[in-house]
Amino acid sequence: MSAPVGLKYTLKTIFFSKSGLLGTAILIGMLLLSAAAITSVPYDVVKTWNNPEAWQDNPRHAAPEWVTLFTGGNPPRTMVIGPRDFFKVSFFVELASLKFIRLEGNFNYQYDDFPSEWAIILDTVFHDSRPLATIHLVRPDGERVLIFRSVLESNRTRLDVTNRAVRSNVLEWLRGLGVEEPKFVLPEVALFAARSPAMWDPRRATPLQGKYGIEVELVSTGRDDDANASAILFGKVHGLAGTDANRRDLFVGLVWGAPIALAFGLSAAVLISFIQAILGSLSAWYGGKVDEVVQRATDIYLILPFLPILITISIVYRIDIWTLIFVVVALSLLGGITKASRSITLQVMQEQYIEAAISYGASRLRILFLYILPRLLPYIVANIVLAVPSFIFLEAALSILGLGDPIVPTWGKIISDAQEGGAALHGYWWWVLLPSTLILLTASSFAFIGYALDRVVNPRLRER
Amino acid sequence: MVLPWRYLAKRVLFLAVTLVVATYLTILIANAGGLIDEILRAQIKYDITTNLARDPGWGQLPEADKTRIIAERLQSALAAKGLDTPFFQRTLIYLQDALTLQLGRALFISSAAGSKNIADIILERLPQTVLLFTTGTLLYSIIGLVVGLRMARRPGGIFDRTLSFIAVVTQTIPPWFFGLFFLLAFAYHMKLFPFGGMVSIPPPTEPIAYLLDVLYHMFLPLMAWLASFFGGWAYVTRNLTMQISEEDFVVAARAKGLPDGLITRRYILRPALPPIITTVALALIGSWTGAIITETVFNWPGLGQLFYNAITVLDAPVIIGLTVVYAYLLVATVFILDLTYGLMDPRIRTSGG
Repeated sequence: MSAPVGLKYTLKTIFFSKSGLLGTAILIGMLLLSAAAITSVPYDVVKTWNNPEAWQDNPRHAAPEWVTLFTGGNPPRTMVIGPRDFFKVSFFVELASLKFIRLEGNFNYQYDDFPSEWAIILDTVFHDSRPLATIHLVRPDGERVLIFRSVLESNRTRLDVTNRAVRSNVLEWLRGLGVEEPKFVLPEVALFAARSPAMWDPRRATPLQGKYGIEVELVSTGRDDDANASAILFGKVHGLAGTDANRRDLFVGLVWGAPIALAFGLSAAVLISFIQAILGSLSAWYGGKVDEVVQRATDIYLILPFLPILITISIVYRIDIWTLIFVVVALSLLGGITKASRSITLQVMQEQYIEAAISYGASRLRILFLYILPRLLPYIVANIVLAVPSFIFLEAALSILGLGDPIVPTWGKIISDAQEGGAALHGYWWWVLLPSTLILLTASSFAFIGYALDRVVNPRLRER
Repeated sequence: MVLPWRYLAKRVLFLAVTLVVATYLTILIANAGGLIDEILRAQIKYDITTNLARDPGWGQLPEADKTRIIAERLQSALAAKGLDTPFFQRTLIYLQDALTLQLGRALFISSAAGSKNIADIILERLPQTVLLFTTGTLLYSIIGLVVGLRMARRPGGIFDRTLSFIAVVTQTIPPWFFGLFFLLAFAYHMKLFPFGGMVSIPPPTEPIAYLLDVLYHMFLPLMAWLASFFGGWAYVTRNLTMQISEEDFVVAARAKGLPDGLITRRYILRPALPPIITTVALALIGSWTGAIITETVFNWPGLGQLFYNAITVLDAPVIIGLTVVYAYLLVATVFILDLTYGLMDPRIRTSGG
């Protein structure tokens, strides 16, 4: 190991090489993304990451909206027809003591694909007896399809495409039209398909564009009974990053993944590099018994099977990501950097300014921390940069084994969710590719800077 | 040649201590400081009570008898599993067994042949791991060596610069991450390669067809392993070669006008070979431990996957057994390294420690 170089030289190396600049640019981008995440997306959203109810209004498995740039077309976006969009007429017939409520909501469907799902939600207030609800869908071609007719069981009814009554009504309607006998019923397809013999089959049917109407009629017995309706047509594209199997907006998870990955990678790398360097330096500076103990302990640490122990700890104690940092640090208190900084310190100790410091009576600790450690700084910085990617990948690896943080969304966890959700099998490419691209970008930004710093860590290359 | 006995004795002593410390730590952690014992004990008690409750005569027994019978059965079940001695004492027994490689019996996992013997389970998995990772390590060593020598021929040229860059980037990316991408692209999208596993189900009966099938399944994990490691190794070779090619004797050989190929073979490779061989040997022994995450991603039935399975079902004896095998392999590797250094480095040989 040749004489250490200054911090200024280190920074210069980074900014005067192409790869260093590229790495710094990507890194700054990631830092900006993290800052944007922390300031604009509230942490509350992150807390609701695992709460399915928070994401009910999003489509399932929707691709990012920008896919249309490559594929063209006009895939459906999610449409919400809220209670205010429904035109309400209600009257009470004294003679029969019956309350009639009629709700009508219209929407214009102009997309060239079928919605991925839909849901109609009825909120009712009734007093004596439960109301009878009838729901029709009026299509642009004038067909009036009975979707649902039944007595409502509760105050809030959510009808969706999996509802058995809805399916059998749609099947009856299809049979009445005289089309091919359907092999299966997909209400989200058949109801929005242009009339043709194959309109039940999502691969052969074409969507019918135009103005649709949802008509809801309720009959109940209480004078003050009331009802409101709303409907959601789930799209096939959503936001900047699409959604996953739990309808979560991946953009939120991906954006929040940046500060978490950076915080995890950087704090682990910084803590480990500094602790190892200080211990190595200490070992050389004090020498004797201290040196012997630190060196033998380092040898033991180098032999400990790191990953198996780490996996065992995280599975037994189900630790969160911040505890994980401490475990990782505790398992790497000593290591390669200890050895290297020991040898650099041995070299620095020979220099005259140290001798001068000793002669005018500076304390040993003062010399160590103020005169020796600053000389190690470039080496420590280079090691931090080189170590960050491995910790980002470590977190992702633990997540893929199902051992990640149980609450916080991380890039690794999104990839692991995607693996479990069969994303590769079903072609939900965004679910895997976006988080892995982000991991790759972040890791390679550090690798690029590390490439520029190689001359600091490998002094032999510098001499040429 | 005289062996540096004092030095070697010191190293053996130190490595033995390291082995004991590493094993004992693993035993403590794998048992979660006694936590797993508590879980097992509660489970055994629950099993006993539910089994007894299914007995039709059980309800008629007086309360005192019930407690007594439960206590008796619990005692014998705990003794059968070896859970009746205090935790600390038991860790020492585990330590002794582990160090003498009496790996004992698994709690839940069994080998494909049905054996509960941990040694059998490990020996059954070892060939698969060696097949994949030792082949992979050998391949990347050779490719890296060739590429590295080529890079060093014209330092700063386009080939050198491009590959240095590729090397620095790829060596930060772990093999399992390449594996994810390869699976996505070549298995799911292009449907060229299988999604994982080692053989098709059902496996082919013809020996040649079987071999081809295994090779077909090996391809993607092998590529992931190569992609992650060949660059770093090429870079190391390049730097090593360049250092040596600046030595005076190489400059002298150049001045004599010897051909490039001869200089590379006789003057550069010869002194570079010992460190290269040491590194390759270390990597080869290291490859026997497999790779936990890569094997899990590719569903490769080796030691790494066994380790992961053992952890997920909290099979402490298997975890300890595997870690002990890992530790032994590592310690053996370090010892071999010490031995070669002791033989090669005259400073160590003469100083005697």
